[in-house]
Amino acid sequence: MAPIIPLNGYTEELNLLAAFLIGIGFGFVLEQAGFSSSRKLAGMFYGYDITVLKVFFTAAITAMVGLIFLNYLGLIDMSIVYINQYYIKSAIVGGVIMGAGFIIGGFCPGTSVCAAAIGKIDAMIFIGGSLIGIFIFGLTYDWLEPLYNDAFVGAPKLSEELGIKDGLLAFAVIFMAVMMFWLGEKAEKMFKRDDISKEI
Amino acid sequence: MIDTKTKYMNPYLAGVLLGLVLLAAFYLTGRGLGASGAMKSAVVATVDVVDANYATTNSFFGKFLGGPNSPMKSWLVFEVLGVLVGGFISGAFAGRLKFKIEKSPNITNRRRIILALIGGALFGFGSQLGRGCTSGAALSGMAVLSVAGYVTMVCIFGTAFALAYFFRKNWI
Amino acid sequence: MKKVNNYTPRLIASLVMVLMGFVAAVLPPTKNSSTELNAEQLLRELKLESHAVSVDELAQLLIDKDPSILLIDLRSKTEYDTFHLPGAINIPFDSLFTENWVPYVDQGMRNNVFYSNGTTLSTEAWMLTRQRGFKNNYYLRGGLNEWFTDIILPVPPEATESKAAFDLYQKRVGAKMFFTGNTAISAPAQSESEIKLPVPQKKKQRVEGGCS
Repeated sequence: MAPIIPLNGYTEELNLLAAFLIGIGFGFVLEQAGFSSSRKLAGMFYGYDITVLKVFFTAAITAMVGLIFLNYLGLIDMSIVYINQYYIKSAIVGGVIMGAGFIIGGFCPGTSVCAAAIGKIDAMIFIGGSLIGIFIFGLTYDWLEPLYNDAFVGAPKLSEELGIKDGLLAFAVIFMAVMMFWLGEKAEKMFKRDDISKEI
Repeated sequence: MIDTKTKYMNPYLAGVLLGLVLLAAFYLTGRGLGASGAMKSAVVATVDVVDANYATTNSFFGKFLGGPNSPMKSWLVFEVLGVLVGGFISGAFAGRLKFKIEKSPNITNRRRIILALIGGALFGFGSQLGRGCTSGAALSGMAVLSVAGYVTMVCIFGTAFALAYFFRKNWI
Repeated sequence: MKKVNNYTPRLIASLVMVLMGFVAAVLPPTKNSSTELNAEQLLRELKLESHAVSVDELAQLLIDKDPSILLIDLRSKTEYDTFHLPGAINIPFDSLFTENWVPYVDQGMRNNVFYSNGTTLSTEAWMLTRQRGFKNNYYLRGGLNEWFTDIILPVPPEATESKAAFDLYQKRVGAKMFFTGNTAISAPAQSESEIKLPVPQKKKQRVEGGCS
């Protein structure tokens, strides 16, 4: 029965070791996928390279379907698995700010770490910027706290909110993803930028 | 330019592998991936070293201090250290290890650096407000079908798309 | 041939995903594992203290003013009226499963923390709710007694003790000031149930996650 480490009460050290190993896998795959290149990431928003869309959705779907199957087979106790807390306002405002950071800076935190690992100086600067941003958040927290904690609605699951089975929702997400992949690859042809693609 | 680089992995294959890594995280430890949380730990730890008194009284930083362990002894910090190692290994195999500023030829290094700094600051700030970044909130949240995950994902990508036009000179 | 190569990965990926999605969609709904908790599992969770919240954790949660926890005082109304923790509501133990109160203990939104004078009553309440498959319930380890000895009247550590002991003491003194009105942090904004979610570090409780 999983999740293995919290369920068996293994030590924190083992948990951290698992974190490290998982991180290696995470970093390796990110780099292999090309997420260490800000121009590849930005390609998503200009249509010349939609790798981000492909990798991101394929990954989310793989894990989603995997969890549904594991749960179905009774191999994982989903009551222990972390489900993100939903604070409506801060999730939306935070997401919008992050989106702006993405298109301006060209990275997100995970990809910037991965890119910094192979020597991208812009990624190192991005990380520096992130640290500053987090520090500013800490400084202004008292002022932001009402927004930060407002409109808390627990940790709802989308399937429960819609009143459908997890599997059906997964199917709907897959259907949308497949459509997006199709449109995305059309866009890749339409907005083709060989000059950029050969450099990244 | 002599090109010794290996090509990137097929994105769908990479996606499946990334999904399996994420699934492994859930299966082993019950939680998804993340990144910005580790940066927060680094900030909290730094503030604590510089001015411990301020750090504990600040209502945000103080939340993560005072426990038996240092904020650096956290799941995400170790995971992100792994990301550094994993990224480095992959870059080494693919022959992509190189110090460089990656940018569009249309802009100067200086401009790229400033944009990266501003973008990073916004992302760092937003990730704290939104309780997680692309990996922790959006990707992991989507995998567990959480509403928060989908909302964050739509907001991040939606905003980036909406603003893409205004920043196009920096990229294309 | 080049052309085919450009198309096939997407087609294969799409096909496999749709197939998996279809299987996932037609699977019969799964049983909710938490409603089928047997005695053995319950005892194991109890032993692991997976749903226990320590007084230090609780103090931090109250100070942070997180909106997601609800403190539930299980003692009698008289005891509650004499003293109760900030923001707590009173549900006497014997009325826990009455119609009025069940919506508070069987819900998916807030995290409830039961407390009583010691740990017995609150643990019992937790076990009963857990057996019924109710989610999101926790109990205060040590109860009000420990709250008073550790938070309200903390004892300074010996000079020989570790730095961690001193840090903990400092933290407790800060919390004490917060709760006894000698405010050092900020005024408590405890409107009814506006409190804070347990930051779970324990074993069998939902894993702490996300990346905020």
